[in-house]
Amino acid sequence: MTYIQKRNVTGWLFLAPFMCSFFLFVFVPVCISLWLSFVQLDLTNAAQSKVVGFQNFSDALKDDLFWKATHATLNYAVLMVPAVLLIGTALGFGLYGMSRGRDLVRGLIYLPGMLNVAAAGILWQWFFNNEFGLINFTAKRIGLPVLPWLSDKAYAMPSVVIMSLWWTIGATSIIILTALQQIPQMFLEAAALDGASQRQTTFKIVFPILRPVLFFVFITTTIGAFQMFGQAMILTGGGPEFSTRGLVQFMFETAFNGFRFGYGAAISWLLFGMIAVFAVIQSIVVRRDS
Amino acid sequence: MKKPSRIVTTFMLFIGLMFLMPMIIMVLTSFKSEKEVMEPSSVIPQHFTLANYSQAIHSAAEAPIMMWSLNSFFVSCATTLLVLVIGSMAAFALTRIRIKGAEIVMNLLVGTMMVPSQLFLIPLYVILSRLHVLDTPWALILPATAGGFGVFMVSQFMRSLPPSLEEAALIDGCSFWQVYWQITMPLCGPSLATLGVFTFIASWNDYITPLVFMEKITNYTLPVGIALFQSSYSTQFGLTLSTSLLATLPLLIVFLVFQKQIIESMSSTGLKD
Amino acid sequence: MQKSGNFNIRGLLGGLAVIVIITGLLRTFLTGGFSASNKVSITFWNGFTGPDGIVMLDIIKEFNKENPDIDVGMQRIPWATYYNKLTVAGSEGRGPALFISHADAIPRLRRAGFVDYADDVFTGDGAINPKDFDRYVLDRVKFNGRFGGVPLDVHPQGLYCDADMLKKAGIIGPSGEAKVPETKEEFLRAMDAATIERTDKQWGYALTVWGANMRAVMAQFDGKFLDEKGNSVLNCPENVKALEFVAGLTKKGKVPPPSNGLGWFGFRQGKVAMVWEGVYMVGDLTRVNSFHYLGGPIPVIGNHMGTIGNSHVMCIRKNLSPKEHDAVIRFVRYLSTHSLDWAQAGQIPARVSLRSSERFKGMQVQSAFAKQIPYVLFPPKTPVIFEFMLQMDLACEYAVRGQKTAQKALDDAQKETQAIIERDRREHPEDYKS
Repeated sequence: MTYIQKRNVTGWLFLAPFMCSFFLFVFVPVCISLWLSFVQLDLTNAAQSKVVGFQNFSDALKDDLFWKATHATLNYAVLMVPAVLLIGTALGFGLYGMSRGRDLVRGLIYLPGMLNVAAAGILWQWFFNNEFGLINFTAKRIGLPVLPWLSDKAYAMPSVVIMSLWWTIGATSIIILTALQQIPQMFLEAAALDGASQRQTTFKIVFPILRPVLFFVFITTTIGAFQMFGQAMILTGGGPEFSTRGLVQFMFETAFNGFRFGYGAAISWLLFGMIAVFAVIQSIVVRRDS
Repeated sequence: MKKPSRIVTTFMLFIGLMFLMPMIIMVLTSFKSEKEVMEPSSVIPQHFTLANYSQAIHSAAEAPIMMWSLNSFFVSCATTLLVLVIGSMAAFALTRIRIKGAEIVMNLLVGTMMVPSQLFLIPLYVILSRLHVLDTPWALILPATAGGFGVFMVSQFMRSLPPSLEEAALIDGCSFWQVYWQITMPLCGPSLATLGVFTFIASWNDYITPLVFMEKITNYTLPVGIALFQSSYSTQFGLTLSTSLLATLPLLIVFLVFQKQIIESMSSTGLKD
Repeated sequence: MQKSGNFNIRGLLGGLAVIVIITGLLRTFLTGGFSASNKVSITFWNGFTGPDGIVMLDIIKEFNKENPDIDVGMQRIPWATYYNKLTVAGSEGRGPALFISHADAIPRLRRAGFVDYADDVFTGDGAINPKDFDRYVLDRVKFNGRFGGVPLDVHPQGLYCDADMLKKAGIIGPSGEAKVPETKEEFLRAMDAATIERTDKQWGYALTVWGANMRAVMAQFDGKFLDEKGNSVLNCPENVKALEFVAGLTKKGKVPPPSNGLGWFGFRQGKVAMVWEGVYMVGDLTRVNSFHYLGGPIPVIGNHMGTIGNSHVMCIRKNLSPKEHDAVIRFVRYLSTHSLDWAQAGQIPARVSLRSSERFKGMQVQSAFAKQIPYVLFPPKTPVIFEFMLQMDLACEYAVRGQKTAQKALDDAQKETQAIIERDRREHPEDYKS
């Protein structure tokens, strides 16, 4: 065996445990859901399900509720992704730049993330409540306008985004901080010795090293945003007038409450298509930069 | 890179407090009576009560809280351990050994992350049923090791490390296993610790999978078990908050106890010299 | 290189491994040791979390004591995810021997193919007499002329009043105590009287679940969901009248604006004097100390008394062994006979004979709501119930928010629901025979 072959064999051995698990618990279910999207599932006997071709997909494209859900999902993603990236990165750099108390603040920022979505959602449902919510109460006290946070179409989605930011931004900040801390000190010292300014160091050295991690944050944030589900489900139930009912909620309810698993699978794959388009655009942009 | 500045420190402390505020309000509210619970005029309870907590716990016979906690610890620790080991090995193969087909595997992995996993519930149920692991902790642990998130994350961190050290070790005659365990793992300490924290918390807070995959009440995890005392019909704010706090409490304790170790491994670069 | 850095992550992994081993051993130690007995074990699933579940657990405990050869094990799953789990488990052949389904969910569940008929409950030794149920309730569980399950309870919507608030507003009867309004005029008067303008405004009445509130009035106008042929008639004049009334309350500013969201919380907080809600909400009120509430039928706004309601139905899984089947039948009969205990949790027994007992009359809200039993409207009996109700609720939302007139909203919903029904007929012709 050549060195390259040996290297490959060892490599695949390293990869094997993960690939086994991945195959069984992700790949197979993904294939099943792909098959589902082309049939009308017969729950009593899955093997006898009727193959309907692209019927489920064309039904979805003609479905008013599908477009409502797409609108809600895009609305959320457009607000959430830039916010997470900007604020998360800023907080990560902020943590890195702290002289004291970094561990404490890191803990505090991540604390909300430890709550389950039900608790976080219920808490904010009360904060946002029109009549006796904390936010409007405080606003009234200090003379700010009282807003119908969750019950008006214009404000409901931003409210969901605010709650989601509080709940999830800690993870992004910590990832950025970790990436900064993992940069070998000697790189930065070398730059300083060469007389590079702080700005130069940041843009010429730190960001290039950070690129893979930033790419990771980009992609996972995008995926996460497009798959938004729990927060809106608890805060608004998808209302008012379905303005916060995203595609995943639509898919989940169609499949599990309406028992239309084939249709649900088709919605999933349409959502997959949307995410993939965004992800490919992002990776092209990131690669062109480098 | 930058000199730590006082302004940044003060600002970040303020931000930290902003994040903490809702949590404090949550704790205070959980001690309020049902009638007082949503009064915004008094964040501090006027009539301090433990009613929400006593209702959450109810009776030991119907609520084997110790058993639920034990299950939660077992599941979360085993998941974290497996995800870290299996995930870092996979990431090592993909980014350090750079096997043939690494690009394809990576794309497949990230691609599958884009399919909403909610739909997998039924196929997973069937697979786990055929493997005879339903209603055992393995039904929660095994599928959690298959997610692409961990491998993707560790891979991206590994990419940002200089390969020079490993190459040197390989030329010195070290095997890949030695390089993985003695050089790459320590170098990736911070990112692995971070991933560990994420995995542990996600596993702890997982709700829908234990609910669907577990049957006997003694096999429930803490968040699922403790939620049984909430009525399905209407939200009882105080009760929901107190049960959530109870379910999160062990998590907080773990992090307080192991804070030093976790933070050290999160922030040690291994290359400080 | 720093030594401690090297140690940390591997130390953390080692530590984790140790914890996994210890907790794993502890688990095996604690869960092991249960030997199989010769009892027949049957599993019973339902969505009775919270106080309901405790009541049900007590009934089961009693049954297990009285029937030493049977062991009923109950599993509670919150309603929000209950049907998901039931479907998944049922189609994989791991479903429970006995489970609760809402009456309107049975047609949908039958599609998953694991629901058996429950005819045996009504025949043989110790049989329950089907005449002891209201006919229209039994009709809900009849499929192909057979019983698809046994109704445990009926839970209609009714009127909850805050007695103290009504009394303060002068809505009192001859005895000087708060009087529960019964007619439209009394109701509107009480609504106005109990509405007080303050900085912290107090309301006489608030809508809760808009769609459900509308359906309560719809029952009073003899409105319908489907005609005899199973076509959607959501926009029939009766329904429009009902929705106009509900939406009109908002338009006239008599109730909190749609953006308010007070509803049930406001009632519990003492900020709303009257609401319409399901009888099962009683359990929620008993927790609030020193709260004087009264129950009554929904005031007559339409042609006669009436409300919306549903039933919890006991359903049996297919492919049980004869022994299990026998045990399940015995348990179903027991539960049905003891449904007064269950009523305590905030339900009305499906058994007519039990409703005339003194004990039931002692449950103020339950017995007051039970006056509406002859006029309870159930959600439509259709496999597309979920999508149907979704469209209807959306129509109510549009009308209450003033985005569409009641007529327009229901016209649109009728078109949508009719399309859904026609699609389902095409996809599942077997369910629409006969």
